[in-house]
Amino acid sequence: MKKDKIMVALAGNANVGKSVIFNHLTGLHQHIGNWPGKTVEKAEGTLHFKGHTIDIIDLPGIYSLSTFSIEELISREYIAVENPDLVINVVDASVLERNLFFTLQLRELEAPMVVALNQMDMAKKKGIKIDHKKLEKILGAPVVPTVATSRKGIYELMQASVDTVEKGIEKTAGTKYGEEIEARIRELSKMVSRLQLPYPARWVAIKLLEGDEQIEGRIRQLDPHILFATKKLAKEIEKIHGHSCSTVITSERYEIAGRIAREVQQIVPSTKLPMRERLHALTTHKILGYPIMATVILSLFFAIFSFGDYTSQLLSVLFEHFHSIYESLFGTEILATIIWGGIIEGLIAGITIALPYLIPFYLVLYFLEDSGYLSRIAFLMDNLMHKIGLHGKAFIPAMLGYGCNVPACLGCRIMETERERFLATFVVTLVPCAATSVIIFGLVGAYVGFQWALLLYVIDLIIIFVLGRLAFNMLPGEPTGLIMEMHDYKTPHLETIVKETWFRLQEFIKMAFPLIIAGSFMIKLIEVLGLLKPIAYVLNPITVVWLGLPAITGITLIFGVLRKELTLLMLLTLFKAEFGATDFANVPGFGPKEMIVFALVTMLYIPCISTIAALVKEQGWKRALFITFFEIAFAIFVGGIAYRLLTLTGM
Amino acid sequence: MEKRLSELKPGESGVIVSIQALTNHRHRRRHSWGFQKRLEDMGLTPGTKIKVVRSAPFHGPIEIHVRGSRLAIGRGMAKRILMRVNK
Repeated sequence: MKKDKIMVALAGNANVGKSVIFNHLTGLHQHIGNWPGKTVEKAEGTLHFKGHTIDIIDLPGIYSLSTFSIEELISREYIAVENPDLVINVVDASVLERNLFFTLQLRELEAPMVVALNQMDMAKKKGIKIDHKKLEKILGAPVVPTVATSRKGIYELMQASVDTVEKGIEKTAGTKYGEEIEARIRELSKMVSRLQLPYPARWVAIKLLEGDEQIEGRIRQLDPHILFATKKLAKEIEKIHGHSCSTVITSERYEIAGRIAREVQQIVPSTKLPMRERLHALTTHKILGYPIMATVILSLFFAIFSFGDYTSQLLSVLFEHFHSIYESLFGTEILATIIWGGIIEGLIAGITIALPYLIPFYLVLYFLEDSGYLSRIAFLMDNLMHKIGLHGKAFIPAMLGYGCNVPACLGCRIMETERERFLATFVVTLVPCAATSVIIFGLVGAYVGFQWALLLYVIDLIIIFVLGRLAFNMLPGEPTGLIMEMHDYKTPHLETIVKETWFRLQEFIKMAFPLIIAGSFMIKLIEVLGLLKPIAYVLNPITVVWLGLPAITGITLIFGVLRKELTLLMLLTLFKAEFGATDFANVPGFGPKEMIVFALVTMLYIPCISTIAALVKEQGWKRALFITFFEIAFAIFVGGIAYRLLTLTGM
Repeated sequence: MEKRLSELKPGESGVIVSIQALTNHRHRRRHSWGFQKRLEDMGLTPGTKIKVVRSAPFHGPIEIHVRGSRLAIGRGMAKRILMRVNK
């Protein structure tokens, strides 16, 4: 059968080189987006191969097809319901048993499949030899050995894929469990096959016995009697084995995977400790691991921020020149001002703030993830992050937050469940970014005292801890501990990292820039219409009465939404206009107490517009607005309390 | 001898006897199912041999070798895994 359009899904464990294969196949013809309504990334691309147009979708890296994470749910729904013409199962040849566990589940879903036996070089280094022909026979699906990082086997993989689709393979037989289980699966399948379901009956039967809640829910609506039958059958299996039915099935599936792995592979472990093992021992060492981590992270962050800072300033200067050219061309009429201040400046804000930091950040993040060091950091920092209800992986986005909240929010993707992702995102928006640090040190540090600036950081840490804990306890869903594979260290594939950075960046620009521009346009409009003073006046009860600040701070706090360091610059400009002040030393009504309150409020009050854009992109409008408004209210609350406490101490 | 996985010292190995589901949590049913399922999906099923390689300081996670791969598991989760250790 000749098909002009073939749909192929890439599926497999995390870190098996799936994205490398995806990038080789699709080149620059790819599109990164989100699964509808989900915070999970969806990568699609197109490939032309021997007259076929092949649409490829890169499913998230997962270990199982249960419903533990959204990724698992998305993947299995996609395979079962969308029915791609072929699933390419990318398998890490150096960790065959674990990977085959997933392969067996794909087979249970009865998806037409080709196996890419990837990282053959890695397996060889570990002394593992695999008879792929034998594996092919056992699995009943073509197996193609590949080394994706050096493009080995990619052509053969596509050839095998196209052949498989054209031949129209018979559905592969599923895993054979023990007879006592098989008999019960048969009984249930018979009942299930009468229902109209998009899934294979046998798979549904297995999932029912495993106690899969999502499948249970669907069956409950169609025929609740099946659930009673399932209960009875599961009880029988439990009686025979002495473990829960779900445990028995997972166990057997792993046993089968193990048996196949032993049958096809020969392991001759090398006698001397290889470099990557020594590196692993060193980077997870209970004492040495920490200074190494601190050095790596600090130098990477230093690199990100010196690059970001330099580029950002360079671009600012460039745009300033451009501004004077613009003014000489279009004058300073209202319309020209609105267009410049509202639209172009919003664009500039996006280009000068987000991009210089985002590009190196993405490169570094993918480098850390791909090489395997990210999981070692998570290993070392797990305990600390547990204190705020997260686990080790959240450490990276949290640290990033100190530089810029935008990449920090985007980095929360590495968390596994939707609940953790939201929690981590919430926490990182409370971390004071570089711009906030400028305010803290430029105002409080310079005019009140260094120790007060440090105190603000300590207060922020306490707030993060308390709010993190509170959110952890209030959020619905199950809290999860850390369990992750620490795959072997490997040299990251540069081409893939660069491509991944490029496509993520494109996506960010598409999503965030309209929002940033709209935001600055609004604020500029308010300014031009002369509404700043009235709004500051309306804000008086909050700024003057509750926070004890001068009325004009209301204006600067509005501008802070664009970029936080603007609050400080604006404040000085306004003080200059009003009192002729050239610094903050002797401004009437703006003493140490007010400075501390002002810095505290700025630190907490709102994620800036670029961060809000990142929040919307990652979490959707509802949650982004929730975080934004919560933080405004919370900052005002804390600021007022601080003002009263400071007054009490007689400052 | 039976021990919790969290009590095993680096270098020690054993076989999983059972995984205890949580009982004192308000999302109890869901939680216990998800928790157990997740560990099992990662290959920690009863009867599986585990070797403890190292543990992170300050009661951090434990590195284990299981089914030819290397996993890091949080101490809270490791506490709920009951092991048989050969002495």
